[in-house]
Amino acid sequence: MNGPGTAWYLAVAGFLFATGALGVLLRRNPLIVLLSLEIMLNGANLALIAFARHLNNGDGQIFALAVMAVAASEVVVGLGLIVALNRKRVPLDVDRLSSLRG
Amino acid sequence: MTVTGAWICLLSPLAAAGLITLAGTRITRRGAGYLATASCFVAFGGAIASFAGLLGRDGEEREVVSTAWTWLSGGSYRSGFEILVDPLSVLMMLIVSGVGGLIVAYSLGYMDRDDEERRYFAYMALFVFSMLLLVQGGNLLLLLAGWGMVGLSSYLLIGYWHERPSAVAAAKKAFVMNAIGDATMALAFFLLIKEGNSLEFGILGGDYSSTTANLIALGLLGGAVAKSAQLPLQTWLPDAMEGPTPVSALIHAATMVTAGVYLIVRTHPIFEQAPAIADLAAGLGAGTLLLAGLIALVQVDIKRVIAYSTMSQIGYMFLGVGLGAYANGMFHLMTHAFFKALLFMAAGIVIHALADEQDIRRMGGLRQLMPRTYLAFFIGSLALVGIFPFAGFFSKDSILAAAMDAGAYGYILWTAGLIGTFLTGLYTFRLLYLVFGGEPSPFVREHFHAPRRDLVGISMAVPVAILAVLSVIGGWIQWAPLWHPIETWLETVAEPLVTPASWMDWTTSAIALLLGGAGWLVAWLLYSAHTYQVPRFAFAQRVLEHKFYFDELYDAVFYRPTVRVAKAFYRWIENPLIAGGTTELGDETRDLGGLVARLQTGLLRTYALAIASSVAVLAIVFVAVK
Amino acid sequence: MIVATAGNILVWAVWMVAAFACIASAVAVVSFRNPFYSALALIGNLGSLAVLFLLLSSEFVAAAQVLVYAGAVMVMFLFVIAYIGPRTDSPWAGGPSWQAVGAVLAAAALLVEIIVVIGLKAGGRLADSADLREGFGSPAEIGRLFLTDHLLAFEITSIVLLVAAIGGVILGAHSRRAADEVPPL
Repeated sequence: MNGPGTAWYLAVAGFLFATGALGVLLRRNPLIVLLSLEIMLNGANLALIAFARHLNNGDGQIFALAVMAVAASEVVVGLGLIVALNRKRVPLDVDRLSSLRG
Repeated sequence: MTVTGAWICLLSPLAAAGLITLAGTRITRRGAGYLATASCFVAFGGAIASFAGLLGRDGEEREVVSTAWTWLSGGSYRSGFEILVDPLSVLMMLIVSGVGGLIVAYSLGYMDRDDEERRYFAYMALFVFSMLLLVQGGNLLLLLAGWGMVGLSSYLLIGYWHERPSAVAAAKKAFVMNAIGDATMALAFFLLIKEGNSLEFGILGGDYSSTTANLIALGLLGGAVAKSAQLPLQTWLPDAMEGPTPVSALIHAATMVTAGVYLIVRTHPIFEQAPAIADLAAGLGAGTLLLAGLIALVQVDIKRVIAYSTMSQIGYMFLGVGLGAYANGMFHLMTHAFFKALLFMAAGIVIHALADEQDIRRMGGLRQLMPRTYLAFFIGSLALVGIFPFAGFFSKDSILAAAMDAGAYGYILWTAGLIGTFLTGLYTFRLLYLVFGGEPSPFVREHFHAPRRDLVGISMAVPVAILAVLSVIGGWIQWAPLWHPIETWLETVAEPLVTPASWMDWTTSAIALLLGGAGWLVAWLLYSAHTYQVPRFAFAQRVLEHKFYFDELYDAVFYRPTVRVAKAFYRWIENPLIAGGTTELGDETRDLGGLVARLQTGLLRTYALAIASSVAVLAIVFVAVK
Repeated sequence: MIVATAGNILVWAVWMVAAFACIASAVAVVSFRNPFYSALALIGNLGSLAVLFLLLSSEFVAAAQVLVYAGAVMVMFLFVIAYIGPRTDSPWAGGPSWQAVGAVLAAAALLVEIIVVIGLKAGGRLADSADLREGFGSPAEIGRLFLTDHLLAFEITSIVLLVAAIGGVILGAHSRRAADEVPPL
């Protein structure tokens, strides 16, 4: 195919994934955590599409669309939780939300 | 009919015990008594049916085995739950259920007003069942099961009045000493399984090396000695008098203590292969009969005199079966059951009339106040001493006569037995005269109340009367020189090894009669006519009162060291290792749990980090492996 | 290797720009203090990803990415961020410090592993890509696949969306209790 080979796309996808992971692990604001989670999902999507193109198989695209739909649902629920937390005047800091401590 | 009767005989007391236990307080106390008594009589009916059934068969066919189901089977070993109906077992069945039934009926009156009558009758029914299982067991394993259960019932009944510490201690003593016998029997059974791979009665006749046969016989003898309270395991029987009098009558006179004799007869093939052990059995019997006879001379408790008398008479039975006179031994077992139970029950009536007093020094002159009881006691005494034509004459003398046929050793035993006859006469009539003779003592005048005429009184009087009659005529069924149906009956089971000639029978009977009469005379002179003072040999008196110091010996040799060892174990092993160990285990588990709980920080980021790290590690693993 | 033709160079150039924008915006998302800026950076990320999808001949997915992801999801994000109000936190502060170190290590390890896998392990097989058939990545193709081979996934995804919608409604409903109760932390 024209342009960079599949390996380059996969490298970008890996980078996105790692960056998203870093964001999830290091940020304290739950909104930012959710955004970083989105980045991870997008990295996975990119890998899926790259392989679909590589193997001439549409299944990868289907999978990517399903991931997109699920990501949307997850964001709905996550944001709903954050809004509810905010309404209850709970500080939006993942380090403070530790009442499930053992 | 034979088999059905036998099963009914075996299971009817068990059903009664079970029903009484399950019914609890829903049946009246007396109702429990009626149920138990009825079950014993039903058992007797079953025994009669079996007896009739066997009579209808020829000699060699008189052995029926009925298997209910296969109890144990492993490899090539097999034991079934089977009962054996043969002349020997039917004889025992009749004795146990018959005399047992009479005694349980007697208990209706004796135990009236006791608070826990139901428990008593349940235990009695359980005992009758256990004894029947013992004698009807079709293989050694079931015999052992009955053996153990009989020991259990004895323990339960001796300690029946469990508020009394002395009763509890006596029950424990009886059980522990019986357990020693159980252990030796179990060892003998292990040897049998090892050599013959079976516990059927048939393998007892197999060929064994002399050592093996001796060991097996020794183990069986150990069990018999413990159960029958012979030397050296005899110390539990006098203490067992703590139980109610009917218990003493049934268990410690008529049935359980005779189980040892039954065992030897049943397993006689192995004893015949181990003549040394058989001679040992006879010797122990002779020793016991002398020992017990001497101790009985100084006892002051009415029941204890009769208990030592039992010990002594069983010594006679051991003497007989040890020498191979099986039928004679069993015959004496039967007559002994009659007159010993009679004596115990009559003593029970006396005890009840004197507000539970048992010390004969306080008694006296009861003959005028309780003439019928005196008559019963007198008949029992005559039978015990062996005066013609009462029951003991025929049975005891036949044993001694058989001893004459057994060589030099037999003559030694014969002499011992005859000395025992003199002692029997002495202590029996001593008891009779002290309790019934002379004028009523001050104690009697103060505390006597006549036996009741209602159901309670009747239930105690009728069995005594029946047994009195049996003590008179029971011996007439066999008079060795003239007719011996019992010997013929038991021939198919156990052929006697010794057969006395006629002149031996006559001679022995004459001498025994003479000696018994002499003992009676001496007792009359000392205790009734008071012609002479009772001699005081201080040393002998002390030894006899301490029962030849057996209790003290066993205490020092066995009990004290065991207690010390047990205390040491407790201090050094149990407390630190076991009790401490479990506590430490609990503590450490808790600490470990605490450590693990620290992983649950509750922080989202920690969990996410854990996931990410695990994925990283796993990826490395996958890449490396692939 | 790289074949230098005119079309090829164009594709490479577009690719470089899009990839760079993608990576830069991703780093920006995790770095900004203000969540609003992070959200905007994410929109940029999504856009550049759509370009990359186009380069991979997946037109429908690219369109869906822009419409659904950048259009709907991100707008929702922006709504919530605006509703919650300005809130800044120091992005790297707080929490156990060993966690920060561990996080960086884990992310770096993941990245290195991916590179290793791509470069060393799968080397030969990633070189040649298959020839595309007619209609690859078109809506018709996607539709056909969804409704035949992957019908179950289709239905389940729709149920997931339904559940999320219900969840959103429940979570957003006003509670009947006093509004100012603060649950214990």
